[in-house]
Order: sequence, then structure tokens, then C-alpha cells
Amino acid sequence: MKPTMVECPRESEVFEAVAFDRVHDVRDHLAECAICAEIADVAGALRAEHAAACREAHVPSAGAVWWRATVRARAEAAQTVSKPITILQGVAGACGVGLAVAVASLVWRSLHFFDSAAGFVARLEERRDEIATASALIVQHGVPIVLALAACFVLAPVALYFALADE
Amino acid sequence: MTLSSLERLGAAAAEADEAFQMDEDTFRVFYERTSRPVWAYLSRATGDPRQADDLLQETYYRFLRATATPADEAHRRNYLFRIATNLVHDTRRHARLEAVQLQDGFEPADPRHGDTAAGAARRVDLARAMARLKPRERDLLWLAYAQGSSHKEIADALGLKTASIKLLLFRARRRLATFMGGGAR
Repeated sequence: MKPTMVECPRESEVFEAVAFDRVHDVRDHLAECAICAEIADVAGALRAEHAAACREAHVPSAGAVWWRATVRARAEAAQTVSKPITILQGVAGACGVGLAVAVASLVWRSLHFFDSAAGFVARLEERRDEIATASALIVQHGVPIVLALAACFVLAPVALYFALADE
Repeated sequence: MTLSSLERLGAAAAEADEAFQMDEDTFRVFYERTSRPVWAYLSRATGDPRQADDLLQETYYRFLRATATPADEAHRRNYLFRIATNLVHDTRRHARLEAVQLQDGFEPADPRHGDTAAGAARRVDLARAMARLKPRERDLLWLAYAQGSSHKEIADALGLKTASIKLLLFRARRRLATFMGGGAR
């Protein structure tokens, strides 16, 4: 069962006496007031513990705490500044990969188209010269496209790595 | 590291200095006045002096980075203890410290440092009694009686209503007195 609160009007006076080491000023009252005697006991013990803990505390110097705080704040500020750049680099990398995929699908469709064209040309042998011209065109433009695709596939992961890696 | 990276870091450094709510000299004075009581509170609240070392640094860092600028020394102190209390609560939540504390107890500082035998025994008794309290009761009692904080300051630090502090403090004090062996008075 929780205890019913009992108060004494001189509680704060007793606490002040304990805090300023003037318990003898309230000694008579403590002898007759259980509430204030309890406050004096508890407060006295805790004040003594507090004083001992403060004496024994091995706190770092103010300069060290300030320096560590400054270093950390700088690191956080630098990270905050670089975050949008990193995100943009990541988006650019993703766009590159998307573009490469789009180009690849276009080339794939073109190859199918030219396969059909080749069959059509076989049936129309009389137009062999035109077919030869078209094939030369494919070879001429296909090589740079394939090279560009290969470059994209090699460079995109590298770009992503640099974009997403921590400095 | 490129030139732009250096420039960026330089700008970040300037921003870091500007981000602190006080300059270094003011901080030094404030730190000298408050660091030991804060450490004592952290040490007793967590029951682990080593953890208190880490939390002390974190407390001052958060204090320096805080956007709120308390008007006077008393408010600054109060604000500092509020940060410390929040950190202690976070630590308890993360590490389930409460269960550990009941086993390890509220560690008294090393009683060999110049205390008399009676004083050392009294501190051990207090440590055992404090270990039997709930964490919030420990915080309440420490702030009220060791630290001498007002009810409003305690309420701010612990996130409680000012009106409820008196009753909570009374109950915590009763329990501590009982555990210390003085409850029969």
C-alpha cells in the first residue's frame, strides 16, 4: 500500500540546514518531527555521497571536451554537406544504367528487325545490292553502339561505387 | 583529397564553431562549475562510472549543439541535467540497464579515498538502499537532495508534472529511508 503523504511546514528549512551544514540549528525540531528527521537522514546521506562523488570524479579537461565536440561537429557538418552530392551522384549513376538498358533494348529490337530484313532480302535476291549496302550500314553503326554499351556496363558500377562509398 | 574537399571541410569547420551555443571561454567556465556534479549524477544514475565518462562527453556535446539558449546559469544547469537525464533514460532502454542495476547495485564511489570507516559503511548502506529503488525514484532523490534542484527543475529534467513531484518525492524518500533502516522512526 502506498503511504499517505505527510508534510511538515519546516521541511525546506531542514533541507537547507542539511545542505549548508547547519543541522545543529534544527536539532530540536528533528528530535520531535519524524518527517523532518527522515528528510535530514536521506538528504544528509545523499549530500555526503554527492560530495564524495564530486571529489572522486575524474572528468576530462574542458579543453578536451571542447576539442572532441568541435571535431565531431565538423565531421557531422561535412557529412551533411556531402550528403546531397552523394545522392545526386547515385541518381546520375542510376540514370546511366537506365540509359544503357534502354539503348540495349533498342539495339536488340533493331537486330531482330535486321534478321527479318535479311530473310526478306534472301527471298528478293534481285535486290542483293541493296541488302549488301544495309549490312555494311549495320556493321558501321553497330560497332560504336556495342562499344558504348560495354563502356556503360563497365563504368556504371564503378561510378556507383564512388558515389555511394563513404569518404 | 581534392581542393574542393578541403574547402568543404573548412566551411564545415566554420559552421561547427558557429553551431555551438557558447564560445570556448564561456564553455570552460561553465564546464568547470558543472562537470563534476553532472558526472556524479550520471555515475549514480547508470551505476557505471565508465559509462558516465562517455555520457558526460555526449551530454556536453548535445548541450553545445542545442538550439535553445538558456538565459542564465541556473537555466543552463537545469538544461544540462535534462540532457543528462534523457541520455540515462536512453541508455536504460537500450541496454536494459535496470535489470543489471538491481544485481550490481548503485555503486558507491571508492570508499578508500579518505573516508572514515563509518562514512564508508554509510555509503555502502546508501548504495544498497538506492539499488532497491526504481530508476525514477533514484533520479528524483538525487536531483532533489544531492543536487538541490527545485521541484520545477526536477519536473523539467524528468519530464514530469511539477505538481506531482512532491508526492513522488515523498514516496521515494519513504522507501529509501525504509531501505536504509530509518523508516521505523
